[in-house]
Amino acid sequence: MKIVAPIRQLDEIAALARAGADELYCGVTPREWAERFGGASANRRPGGNLPSLAVLAEAVELAHRHGVQLSLVLNAQQYSVEQIEFALEIACGYADIGGDAVIASDPGLILALAEAVPGLRIHVSSVATCRNADGARLYQELGARRLILPRDITLDEAAEIAAAVPDLEIEAFVLNDGCVYEEGSCNTLHLPGALGGPICLDRYAYVHRHRDGRPLSATLAARLQENDEAYRRWLWYRFSCGFTTTAEGMPFGPCGLCAIPALGRGGVHALKIAGREGPPERKLASVRMVRQILDAHERGESPAAVMARARELRPSHEHCATGFMCYYPEVVGEAERARETGRHAPSSSPTPTSD
Amino acid sequence: MSAPLTFLRRPPASPPTGVSAASPTALAALPASGVAIAVSMVRPRALDRLCAGPPARAAFWSATLHDQALADWLAPLRPTRLHVGSEFCERLLPEPEQLERTLAEASAAGLAVCLLTPVASPEVLRALEPLFALLPAGAEVVVNDWGVALRLHERHPLLQAVAGRILCRMLKDPRLGNPQYAPPAAHGFASPWQQRLFARMGITRVEMDMPLFAGADSFAGVPLPLGVHLPFAFVAKGRMCRTAGLARPGPERFAPRPFCHHECLGLAARTERAREGTHDAWETLHVGNTMFCRHSAASLAVLAAAVAAGRVARLIVPGEAL
Repeated sequence: MKIVAPIRQLDEIAALARAGADELYCGVTPREWAERFGGASANRRPGGNLPSLAVLAEAVELAHRHGVQLSLVLNAQQYSVEQIEFALEIACGYADIGGDAVIASDPGLILALAEAVPGLRIHVSSVATCRNADGARLYQELGARRLILPRDITLDEAAEIAAAVPDLEIEAFVLNDGCVYEEGSCNTLHLPGALGGPICLDRYAYVHRHRDGRPLSATLAARLQENDEAYRRWLWYRFSCGFTTTAEGMPFGPCGLCAIPALGRGGVHALKIAGREGPPERKLASVRMVRQILDAHERGESPAAVMARARELRPSHEHCATGFMCYYPEVVGEAERARETGRHAPSSSPTPTSD
Repeated sequence: MSAPLTFLRRPPASPPTGVSAASPTALAALPASGVAIAVSMVRPRALDRLCAGPPARAAFWSATLHDQALADWLAPLRPTRLHVGSEFCERLLPEPEQLERTLAEASAAGLAVCLLTPVASPEVLRALEPLFALLPAGAEVVVNDWGVALRLHERHPLLQAVAGRILCRMLKDPRLGNPQYAPPAAHGFASPWQQRLFARMGITRVEMDMPLFAGADSFAGVPLPLGVHLPFAFVAKGRMCRTAGLARPGPERFAPRPFCHHECLGLAARTERAREGTHDAWETLHVGNTMFCRHSAASLAVLAAAVAAGRVARLIVPGEAL
């Protein structure tokens, strides 16, 4: 499996490549885009983008010099006709400078890209919220070479899609930056923090009620209150455990390291590290974490040993046991057993890698 | 999307305000023809009241929507369609037996049935097959997932695919008060590439929520007969369901693998944002995995004018209180 990591500036490229990333991705917001389309972003991130096509060209050259590919993100949920035309100009320019792939979500843009820049690889963004094989096959027919699965998917579903569409590469989230709502079904902005930030983190008070107007019983009200408290705990995990790290800079928060053996078995081709806007140190630590666990898996350590190793990394046993930090919480029970067995369990049947 | 700090300030000239009760804005009367009313229900009931005379319908709409002016506006027109199922949750698909029952009841009430379908996991695709098989030729299926659209096109060509509102992506952040965000809040159905995709998938109609800043041009460029949802727009939906957390303790309490006892059919929450210096323009509520906002009186007036002008073919109204 390949490790895919984000960048927002040129000086991250060499370090991430040396740390073990196989592919990088970035956004670009040329000044002309901002001038023409005002607040509308090219790729859903007001910050964290390269500032021009010239800098993008430097990034492509630098990435290739370090032996890694660089994908360009053009994954707004939808574009107007004028924005698609501009996005095609960007994509053509990017192809001319040797760019590797465009990550897109809008099916109209995907169709347009396949026709206008036929040599350029198209990766379907997680924002497309494609979580079944028929959808994957449609995107493949439109010209896509890879599908980035949405965050909210199970390991079984990922494996089923990968098996059903074997010629389409499958990429799955492995570390950082959870969302509450599905990216493709969230029609909101990430406001500046002082104004509320992401809507799922904003300070909404919930006043529960029966839909038919009946008053809540005391028992139900208490259950709802307990559920709200559990939800807020989950939310803290979902947003990187309050954006905390270890002393060495390793991030807590959404994580699928324990699931790497299952993702490998399931035919997943690439592991995505999220967090384009994060600090360079966080990205570097993230790549090192994933590389360490992936290497263990690829040299044939048993899934149980890989899971135990993943939990020892930070270490994060208490957080992990809640399941709230997991991209794939269905592995929690298995990982708990692995921890009890011990991290040096012998490898009975080395798992073949997909790459 | 980048944003200046004037984001949440409502300019003096902007009329939207969150209202849930009797709107003071006059609504252009519904035309007697050219527009149809579809009632959307997860678990259909009280179809007889919907199909009775205007007074009974007005009472039904008032009790369901909590807006007498809106109820009075809708009441003269008898609904002709029943949308059944859920656009938002894979756990709310009807069982085949339920759908069979609904088809019979709807037929007796003179309502054509349309099946609502959500974003689909592989399991949902499998669950849809026996439901599709029950639908009569020509029945509509609202698709909110391109995989479902492809499945329908390839395997069930006698059913009519309708592009649902989840496929109509547009900015609907209820915290925004400034119409400068009207352009990004527009629908994306006008793109020629999108239209080619509709043609390729055999999609014959489209649905959308009211745009956040509705105006005379809000429905321009829609290439197919248009259905508009009222009086609620969905803001965001998750696969994870906060309400379903009531049903399952442990590591997967808020996990993507869904499990619940359909708690959302009985429960909802009014949501209010307490933040100094901001005045949210739209009332919000949360049902199951979805956040909704309620149209303003001004938005409904724009919609009524669009209906009167023949730009909207269908109004889709929830038949269950949110």
